[in-house]
Amino acid sequence: MKPTDVPEISGALRAGVRRAEPMVWLSAGAVTLALMLLVGLLFLLASRGFSHFWPQPLILLDNVESKAQLGILLDREPVPYAQDYRLLLHLGGEDFFDSPLVWVEEATLRARSTPQAALAIERRDQGPLFAFAEGVDYGEARLELSDWNVADQVAAIRKVRGTAGRVYLRLASGRPVTLPASDLIEVSSPNAMSGMARIRHAFSALGRFVREAPRRGNVQGGVFPAIVGTVLLVLLMTAIVAPLGVLAAVYLQEYAQRGPLTRMVRIGVNNLAGVPSIVYGVFGLGFFVYGLGGSLDQLFFSDSLPAPTLGAPGLLWAALTMALLTLPVVIVSTEEGLARVPRNLREGSLALGATRAEALFRVVLPAASQAVLTGLILAVARATGEVAPLILVGVAKYAPGLPVSSEFPFLHLDQQFMHLGFYIYDLGFQSPSIETAEGLVFATALLLVLIVLLLNLAAVMLRSRLRNAFGTQELR
Amino acid sequence: MKTHSIDVHALKRAPARAGDDDVCLRVEELSLHYLRSQNVALENVSLEIPRRRVTAFIGPSGCGKSSLLRCFNRMNDLIEGSVISGRVSLEGEDIYDRGVDVAALRRRVGMVFQSPNPFPKSIYENVAFGLRIQGVNKKRVLDEEIEKALRNAALWDEVKDRLDGSALTLSGGQQQRLVIARAIAVQPEVLLLDEPASALDPISTLRIEELIYELKTRYTIVIVTHNMQQAARVSDMTAFMNLGRLVEYGETDTLFTNPREPQTEDYITGRYG
Amino acid sequence: MQGDQHSQYRQHISGQFNAELDAMKNHLLEMGGLVEQQLSRAITSILQRDSGEAEAVIAADREINTMELQIDEECLRILARRQPAASDLRLVLAVAKSTTDLERIGDEASKVARQAIHLSELPPSASGVNEIRQLGSHVGAMLRDTLDSFARLDVGRAIDVVLDDNRVDEEYDAAMASLETYMRQDPAHIRSVLFEMWALRGLERIGDHATNIAEHVVYLVEGVDVRHMRMDELRALKASVSVRPGL
Repeated sequence: MKPTDVPEISGALRAGVRRAEPMVWLSAGAVTLALMLLVGLLFLLASRGFSHFWPQPLILLDNVESKAQLGILLDREPVPYAQDYRLLLHLGGEDFFDSPLVWVEEATLRARSTPQAALAIERRDQGPLFAFAEGVDYGEARLELSDWNVADQVAAIRKVRGTAGRVYLRLASGRPVTLPASDLIEVSSPNAMSGMARIRHAFSALGRFVREAPRRGNVQGGVFPAIVGTVLLVLLMTAIVAPLGVLAAVYLQEYAQRGPLTRMVRIGVNNLAGVPSIVYGVFGLGFFVYGLGGSLDQLFFSDSLPAPTLGAPGLLWAALTMALLTLPVVIVSTEEGLARVPRNLREGSLALGATRAEALFRVVLPAASQAVLTGLILAVARATGEVAPLILVGVAKYAPGLPVSSEFPFLHLDQQFMHLGFYIYDLGFQSPSIETAEGLVFATALLLVLIVLLLNLAAVMLRSRLRNAFGTQELR
Repeated sequence: MKTHSIDVHALKRAPARAGDDDVCLRVEELSLHYLRSQNVALENVSLEIPRRRVTAFIGPSGCGKSSLLRCFNRMNDLIEGSVISGRVSLEGEDIYDRGVDVAALRRRVGMVFQSPNPFPKSIYENVAFGLRIQGVNKKRVLDEEIEKALRNAALWDEVKDRLDGSALTLSGGQQQRLVIARAIAVQPEVLLLDEPASALDPISTLRIEELIYELKTRYTIVIVTHNMQQAARVSDMTAFMNLGRLVEYGETDTLFTNPREPQTEDYITGRYG
Repeated sequence: MQGDQHSQYRQHISGQFNAELDAMKNHLLEMGGLVEQQLSRAITSILQRDSGEAEAVIAADREINTMELQIDEECLRILARRQPAASDLRLVLAVAKSTTDLERIGDEASKVARQAIHLSELPPSASGVNEIRQLGSHVGAMLRDTLDSFARLDVGRAIDVVLDDNRVDEEYDAAMASLETYMRQDPAHIRSVLFEMWALRGLERIGDHATNIAEHVVYLVEGVDVRHMRMDELRALKASVSVRPGL
């Protein structure tokens, strides 16, 4: 075929492509931007969070002005109004120093090294300690460790855990420190560790972070109660909002007379989704905690008044408040799902002699179940990340006791609980030493994101299971 | 007159009124209005539908044939603001009487809709639906009834190996037969078919028609169809409706060769009307 | 016989269908005209013992046969493709049946013409001329009326034709009786009379076929099968038709 055969057509086609291009680029660009932001966020959280568990090298600084200092390098910045740089060093052992954080000007430095023998010690009640091993006592006699190599030192010190012995240490300044074995949680030699050992250490730290309760005003230890609290709150909230939202949507869509009143209710519900969450918190505190809880106290627990039993912030009230907060999402999504169920399915079941309720619960709702689940997914996503209302209605800064136990009634709805979101807020903005808690904040944030992801994934899988059960074909 | 002589007009008129024993559904001066629209959906319709025969309703779109069909199982009740007057009786009972259990009525008068509407469930559960809501839950009974219904709907051989598969994976024609099986599983007396083959290809359509032919030995069948040839093929009686009125009702053989009313003539021969 | 013969009903939505039905009917009427012409020429040939004219009539029968095949095919096509109903269906059936009758009339006309050839070879005699002329014109009128009624869908006229057939039969009987008398009176011309009797027989058959067509017309318009109906019933039908307005 000669190329001149189709000049007009190809010209027209090209013109079409040219016209379509800006729109394609624009939309693709938007998607790329959103993806990049998401990946960036996850990467930031992951890197900063994980680095919290990664063994940081211990730096020994020999200073003109003061004694030698051993610690983790947190920052390096120019000194204001000077031609010099200064280092921010985290010394640990706040019980031995005025401040665990010190600035050291580089000009005053005499020597800087990373001694192999430096140990990082994690203690139960105090912050970390960076020191050198002197000796260990398993309860009988002091065993000198100064001449041992660092790996043996670490092994020997680890053995003391669980005994009635003690560990003898020396700070970089030369000051001796005696540490009771009961106070020792973990010891490591970050400067002497091999790559594999570092990784092992990081993962064990991560495991403890997830498994253990927080210590020392939350800046130490794990977030297990917060994980349990968050998940429990979301599950409880889902258990409340699912039936409530579905029933409300069913009423609005199926039974309510179509008229101005219904329309107003629907508009109201839609607008509820836009109310700031703190307003829900205030409402929850006023209505649930003081109103409902207070009156229940007067009715059933009048003996223990004025000490509140139910009339105080707790898991139940928090779950109810969150349910209220996410209700509009569930209602709107369910209503849409119900409206999308083809009329002929409804009529088909009615024509077989089903009552309206039977048609609704056996055919229409199952057919709309995917939309219901979508609503629940959105609700869960929102509830997991919401902090503001929880501060008012039930979350606690520190509540290591879980709201679940093996004792009756197993689920303690009246208890306050910890929450990852609030934990982040508290740690990041309320804690005394933000610099040392930073890694913890990122790690917790990553964990929260992962939990949201996990909950969503579970719901999505459930939804696709439902879709398979109801056939591959899309509903017409 | 002598018995021999032929009354010429009798030849052209509807057949003599069926005896009461043969009437399944009797419609007397039925009118249907919708409050929302000024139009009258049905106006003063009277006819008798014979038992165990196929009666077809034909007519242009919006003529009220579907509305009339939906009066027989009170599906019009679902439409807000529908006002009905007159009588419809099933085997002598007024179905619009106060105190009639509509769900029970609909179990006696099954219905199949225009587009196949299997529930998004398994084939088995689709057919079981009507039985389950009647409280039949014994597996053995259900199995038996479901096989019977599927056999009667000429679908058993095609689906017996995948009863637990989704009904939505069936072809359109199979879906429609499944819906018929679902309807006859509850053993109705009357089967209402609202354009059952309009969404199907010609072969599936013929299968459905063959099925109708077999089912009429057991059920009274009323079918609404746009397809005049289909009405001519499957029905014993045909009613032609236009603008909410019953224009002509008679034996299909007569109506399609020699209709009484010019309106009917125009419609079935495809003239402007 | 052109124009809108189907004006009793409104037009079809499908103009093509309309055109097909009209064409089919026009072809039938055309064939009818041809047959009519054949008949009158056959009668002329026998009255004038004109063998040339007779040969022409016999030759023209081919054309009628061809037309019959052609119209039958049209009917078949419409049945297969349009699935006509009601009046359309009756029209197709009436046309299909009428072509057969017209073809038979054509055959009978040739038969009459063949007798003319035989007669032209015999010495002239005036034995059956009057009878043939009378029956011929009567049958010719019947055929014309039938075709007219077909063209105009005139049931009254068609019924008249059906009723008229009895008179044709009577005339035929009378003609046969008088020819019998001729034979007895003038044995020399027995051969001529025999040929004339054959011609009369043919004309009588033509009357029967014309009646058949008229019956198809009644069926077409009224949907009533009037074959084998008795006279009084036919008259009753005609009375009821003539008082009905609009048709």
